[in-house]
Amino acid sequence: MVSKKVTVTNPEGLHMRPAGVFTKEMSKFESDVNIVFGGKDNDGKSIMNIIAACIKCGSEIEIQCSGPDEEEALKKAVELVAE
Amino acid sequence: MSKFNGIAGSEGIGIGKAVLIKEQELNYEQKSVLKPEDELNRFEDAVRVFVEKTTAMADSMRENVGEKESEILMGHVLMISDSAMTDEVRNNIHDGATSESAAEEVFDMFAAIFESADDELTKQRAADIRDIKTRLIKILQGVHEADISSLPPGSIIVAYDLTPSMTAGIKKENIAGIVTETGGYTSHSAILARALEIPAVLSIQDVTREFKNGQMIVVDGTSGAVVSDPDQEEVKEYTVLKKYHDEEKKELLKFIGKQTETADGDKVGLVCNIGKPEDCAEVIERDGEGVGLFRTEFLYMNSNEQPAEDEQFEAYKKAAMTMKGKPVIIRTLDVGGDKDIPYMNLKKEDNPFLGFRAVRYCLQNRELYSTQLRALLRASAFGEIKIMVPLVTCVDEIRNVKSMIRSIMDDLDKEGIGYNKDISVGVMIETPAAAVMADVLAKEAGFFSIGTNDLTGYTMAVDRGNANVSYLYSAYNPAVIRSIKRIIECGKSEGIMVGMCGEAAADPLMAPLLVSFGLDEYSVSPTSVLSARKVISLWTKEEADKVADVVLKCTTEEEVRELLIRYKK
Repeated sequence: MVSKKVTVTNPEGLHMRPAGVFTKEMSKFESDVNIVFGGKDNDGKSIMNIIAACIKCGSEIEIQCSGPDEEEALKKAVELVAE
Repeated sequence: MSKFNGIAGSEGIGIGKAVLIKEQELNYEQKSVLKPEDELNRFEDAVRVFVEKTTAMADSMRENVGEKESEILMGHVLMISDSAMTDEVRNNIHDGATSESAAEEVFDMFAAIFESADDELTKQRAADIRDIKTRLIKILQGVHEADISSLPPGSIIVAYDLTPSMTAGIKKENIAGIVTETGGYTSHSAILARALEIPAVLSIQDVTREFKNGQMIVVDGTSGAVVSDPDQEEVKEYTVLKKYHDEEKKELLKFIGKQTETADGDKVGLVCNIGKPEDCAEVIERDGEGVGLFRTEFLYMNSNEQPAEDEQFEAYKKAAMTMKGKPVIIRTLDVGGDKDIPYMNLKKEDNPFLGFRAVRYCLQNRELYSTQLRALLRASAFGEIKIMVPLVTCVDEIRNVKSMIRSIMDDLDKEGIGYNKDISVGVMIETPAAAVMADVLAKEAGFFSIGTNDLTGYTMAVDRGNANVSYLYSAYNPAVIRSIKRIIECGKSEGIMVGMCGEAAADPLMAPLLVSFGLDEYSVSPTSVLSARKVISLWTKEEADKVADVVLKCTTEEEVRELLIRYKK
């Protein structure tokens, strides 16, 4: 497993549109994607999970990827939330 | 005629006939008569149809409205394809439920989760889930969607809510206005109405029962008022207002994305006054160039105890990050006067405006003030935050605040926490003492911001709420105008930025004076950005100087006002 802590810079946080883009991109990877926020795990491929997690702009999250393409998945994930 | 007040969701005035959009009642059985696998197939088919239809709507939305709005519908496709939600539905179907009741239960549960979130944007997503649910059940039942694509010109849509799916087929030239029972400024209905430039008023109770099809309705999306069955006189009035508004708006649109500058090309800043970090989105939408006054009282008022450092830090950081490097001037706590905060135990005073308030209170409640300053410094690592100190009357006050800031910086250094070492600490000039001492204050302050509302009150020694003396409350008094001129001159000779955050900054009559005096930054409400930009663009320095020369010779408020009206462009 690879992981990285990042700060969400999208002004809307991980809400409808950003969450939609995120899950869509993550679904392209084979690896499991987990977002740790506030001590809880959230499935990075589930838009419902991510919206319910209420991740606001400026939040610190940890992204964990595990699977055959974990490096690429993590790179893309970080790029999507912290750009 | 009846008048209703709601939330102004999209500005402009619409006059037309009510068209009620009523959702058909959906009736279905709880228990399925089919075998679970057949019921499951029914559900999967419906989801497939939903995805096809919604994708098509998103495509049409992309063409008719915009990319952002279309992404909302694509979000619906993702939500319904998300196994976190649909697996629950499948489980219920497995246990013998119909697709309809299984979907109803699971979608309502998710909507309830979102609704209970402590965050406005997440709460709004509950409406998306309900929209998806209703559409899915309609597909299952073979019920057609309310079709609003074929409404006649001059229609005022009256609905419980305007869902993204409803608006996909909207023909904006036929829709004069929108009135809904639910929603707020950030709900989809409001965002879509603004994107489509259709006047909208939201959150008026029971409109779908109060209003009848074909009834005459006026929607004033600027003030948030809705008038039903207006009389002839009112129709005439609103027609004039509408014409004026439409022309003005068209004219102002030319100023979107333009540099704020005088007619001879002197560039100035045009920023906004806000009260919450969420307001930054509107600042950007209205093309404000930053924030000139962020009032922090809301943080203290919306709470039963002093807001914690982290809570404040999050709020300031959010504002800074939303503005993406554009300046954000944050005013430290301006408590007292007319702003009471229960847990602070402020004693009743005989003269609250001359009493224990703002920086005076903060400097005697150092722990509370340190918390705010520390939160501000930490947030300064995330954008261009500047700190503004209100109600300064003596130079010691700003010196004391700065020394507190330096000591907090030392602490942060020790703890290895980042902040902007060059953060600018400015003074809000709103007392006659500060105006007189502006030359001295300018040597200590990183910038000035003239608060014309209090400056006028204190200079004229008048309470604007007192009807017997409120005639004295006017920024056109020569005493106030001389003060403004002096403050700007003193700031300029020390080379610091001088802004203005009171009502005078957006007053078209004041523009020639402010241009002539050389004001650097105008801070106005987000809705006034474009009109202020236009007014500033009408004056050259030379013309403005001529007006200022005459005005400065005036001896009374009346003379000043008359002259400014005469020269108004």
